[in-house]
Amino acid sequence: MTAALGRSLVLLALLASTLGAVVGGATAVRRSAAGWTLTRRFAYLFAAAMLAANALMVWALLARDFSVSYVAQVGSRAVPNWVAFVSLWSSLEGSILFWGLVIGGYVGVATWANRDKHPEYMPWAVAVWLACGAFFSFLLAGPAQPFASVSPVPPDGPGPNPLLQNHLLMVVHPPFLYLGYVGMTIPFGLASAALLTGRLGHDFLRPLRTWLMLPWTFLTVAIVLGGWWAYEVLGWGGYWAWDPVENASFLPWLTATAALHSAVLTERKGVLKGWTVTLVLATFLLTILGTFMTRSGVFNSVHSFTQSAIGPTILVFLVLALVWSVALLALRIDRLEADGAIEPVLSRDALFLVNNLLFVLFTFTVLLGTVFPLLVEATRGVQMSVGRPYFDRMAVPLGVALLLLMGVGPALPWGRATPAQLKQALVPPLAGAAIAAGIAALVGVRQPWTLVALAFGGYTAQVTLRELWLPLARRRAHGEQLGRALAATAWGSGRRRFGSYVVHAGAVIVIVAIAVSSTMGQSREAQLRVGEKTEVGAYTLTFLGIDQLREPHRDAVVARVGVSRGGRDLGVLSPRMNQYERQREPVGTPAVRSSLFEDLYLSVMNIDPANGTLGLLALVNPMVGWIWGATALMALGSLVALVPVRVGTRP
Amino acid sequence: MSKGAAEANQPSPLNRRVLLVGLAVVAPLVAVLFMNLGRNPHAIGSPLVGRAAPDFALRPMGGGEPVTLASLRGRPAVLNFWATWCVPCFEEHPLLVRAARSLGDRVQFVGVIYEDSEEQVRGFLARQGEAYPSLVDPGSRAAIAYGIFGVPETYFLDAEGRIAAKHVGPLDAASLAAKLRLVGLQP
Repeated sequence: MTAALGRSLVLLALLASTLGAVVGGATAVRRSAAGWTLTRRFAYLFAAAMLAANALMVWALLARDFSVSYVAQVGSRAVPNWVAFVSLWSSLEGSILFWGLVIGGYVGVATWANRDKHPEYMPWAVAVWLACGAFFSFLLAGPAQPFASVSPVPPDGPGPNPLLQNHLLMVVHPPFLYLGYVGMTIPFGLASAALLTGRLGHDFLRPLRTWLMLPWTFLTVAIVLGGWWAYEVLGWGGYWAWDPVENASFLPWLTATAALHSAVLTERKGVLKGWTVTLVLATFLLTILGTFMTRSGVFNSVHSFTQSAIGPTILVFLVLALVWSVALLALRIDRLEADGAIEPVLSRDALFLVNNLLFVLFTFTVLLGTVFPLLVEATRGVQMSVGRPYFDRMAVPLGVALLLLMGVGPALPWGRATPAQLKQALVPPLAGAAIAAGIAALVGVRQPWTLVALAFGGYTAQVTLRELWLPLARRRAHGEQLGRALAATAWGSGRRRFGSYVVHAGAVIVIVAIAVSSTMGQSREAQLRVGEKTEVGAYTLTFLGIDQLREPHRDAVVARVGVSRGGRDLGVLSPRMNQYERQREPVGTPAVRSSLFEDLYLSVMNIDPANGTLGLLALVNPMVGWIWGATALMALGSLVALVPVRVGTRP
Repeated sequence: MSKGAAEANQPSPLNRRVLLVGLAVVAPLVAVLFMNLGRNPHAIGSPLVGRAAPDFALRPMGGGEPVTLASLRGRPAVLNFWATWCVPCFEEHPLLVRAARSLGDRVQFVGVIYEDSEEQVRGFLARQGEAYPSLVDPGSRAAIAYGIFGVPETYFLDAEGRIAAKHVGPLDAASLAAKLRLVGLQP
C-alpha cells in the first residue's frame, strides 16, 4: 500500500517534470503568457510530488514498514529513530530519492523567486531544470525504484551502513553535499537559457551569480564537513585523502569558484561571457560525473554504493548533458558578445584571468589524477592508484599560488595603473608577509613550502583586512561608531564586496591551516598494557583500562587513556571500537582533544579486553580546528554576500 | 532595426574551435567511463579458489550427525553462506531450493548460517521452503576459514573437495548454471 502510493508519487513527479519541460521549451519559442503560467504550475507540482514521496519514505522508515523495498534493505528495528531517519540518504535508492527532494525544492523556489522576472530567459531555464528533474524521476521510477513492494514482508531489516550510525556529522554532511551538488542544476539551467536566447545581459548576471553562490556555499561546507567527519570517525588522523569521491565533490567546487570570479569580471567589464557560461556548464557536468562515480561502482572508496543499472543510466544522462553543453556552446557562444575589453597590463582585471587559469588547471589536474587509473586499468588490466604523492605535488604549488593571487589581485586597482600606484598597492603588504614568515621561523617551521604558504598568507591577510577595514574606516571618518559602521557595511549596499572579503579571509586561514597541519604534525604508535605510558609531542599518555559498553544498536570496547602535559592532568580520552549489530567489521571512533592551536588525536588500532592490551595511534595535529572554524567564516561571508541588495537602497 | 537585433535573427555560426576543444575533452572521458562500466571494484577474489576447501564439522539444524568436508566428497557441493536478515539471501533462496530439488543427488547443497539465531532460521525455512541442510556455525569459525566478507557468498566445491568457484552476492539462474558447470554439472 505504502509502496504503491510511493510509486504513484514518483510517476506524478515524472509526468509533471516531463510535461513542464516540453511546455517550458514551447513557451520559450512562442512567448506565451499562458504557457509560462502552465510551466510554473508543472514546476510546483513536480516539487510537491517529490516532497510528498520523500515524506512518505521517511514515514515508512520510522514506522519500520518493511513492505517497502528500501526500508527492507536499510531499515532495522534495532536502530534508534534518528538513524532510521538518516537512512533516507544512507543507501543508493534512498539517496536518489533524496536527490529528487533537493532538486524539487530548488526548482520550486527558483521558479517562484523568478516568476515575474527575466521573461525572455526563464521559460528556457525552467524547461532545462525540469528536464533534469525528469531524468531523476525516471531513475526513481525505473532503475532506482525505492518503493518496490516486498512480499512476504520480512520481520526485520539489516540496518544502514555502520559508518553512518557512528557520528552526528554524518547526519549533516550528505544533505549539505546534495544542496551543493543538486543546486548546480539551477545555474546550469540559467546558463543554458543565456545560450539558447543568445544573450547574457547585465541584469541576468545577478540571478546567475546568486544561484551559483548559494550551492557553492553548501558545497564548500559539505566538503569540509566530509573532511571533518573523516577526521572524527575514520581514525587515520587526516581529513583529506584524494579519494576519487572526495575529488568528485572538489572538481565542481573548483569550476564553480572560477565561475564566481569570472562572473565578477563579466558583470564589471562585460567580458568573458562565453567563458563564464562555460564554467557554469562544466560545474554541472562535473556534479553529474561525480554522481556517476559514486553511483556506478566504477570507483572503490568509502563512499561508493554497489553496482546496479543506475550507473549506466547516469552515464547516459552524463553523455546527453555533455553533448547538450558542447553543442550549445559551439552553436551559440559567438552570440554572447563582449561589451568591453581587458587591457593586457598588470591590473586586477588581468589577475582575474590568472585566477581562472589556475582554477581550471587545478580542475584538470584533479580530473586527470582521478580518471587516469581507470584508463590504465582499462587498457593494461593493471590496478593502480595515482595516489597522494601526485595530488600533493600538484595541489601544493597551485594552492600556494592561489593564496598569493588572493592578495595581489585585490591589492591592485582596476584597469591601467601608474608604476607609483602599483608600488603603493603591492609593497605595504610585504610587511604582513615578513611578520608571518618571521613568526613561523621563530616557532620552528622549517619546511620550505609551509614557510612560503605562511608568508603568502601574511601578505594576503594584510590585503584582505585592509579591504575589510576600508569601508569601516570611511564610515568612521563620517563619525560613526565602529559597531554601527560594521553593521551598516555588512547590511548596506557594499555587502556583496564585504562578504566576499570575509570569504577570502576564511580561505586564507583554511589554506594556511592545511599547510601547517599537513607538515607540522607529530605521531606515535604504541602497543600498551594497562598502566603503561607513552608520549607524543608534549603529551604523556597513560593507558588506564578498558570498558565494555552495551548500547541499543552496538557494543563498544572503550580504551581509557589519561592525558597529561608538563605534569598537568588534562583528563581522560576514550577512543573506542564499536561493534554494530549485524555488521562483521568493528568500526573505530577516535577521541580528539582540541585546544586553540592543536588537536591531540587518539585512535584504537587494536584492543583486547581479555589481555588488557591496546594498540594506540596518537597524533598531535596543529591547526586542524582552524579549518572547521574558517569554513564557518567562509559560509558566513558568503551568506552576507548572498542577501540581495535592493536596487533602491544603492547610494 | 538595430544591427544587433538583425544579427540575432541570423542562424548563428558554428564555432568549430569550441566544438573541437569540447570533443577533445569530452570524448576520451566518456570512452574511459564506458570501458570501466562493467568493472566491479568490490569484486572480492578469493585466494582459496583452486585449492582444497578448508575443513569443517558443523551441526545441521534440527539435529543429526555433523556435516564435514569429508562427508561431502564424491560429488560436487554448493556451500551457501546466508542469514535470514539478509535481503539478497531472501531473494536467491527460491532459486537454490529449486536447483537443489531438480538436481537431486548429483550435487549436495549446504547452507551455512551466518550470525543468526536458529529460531529465526527455523521460521524462515518453514515459510520459504527447505531442500537441503542448514548448518550452524558457532563463533563463525567456518565463515572465517572461508574468508566470508558479507552474505550471501557461495562456494562451489568439486567432487574432490577443491574450491572451483566463488560467487559474491545473490545468485541468479545464469550465474548459478555457469558456476555449476565449473564443477562438472550440466543443469
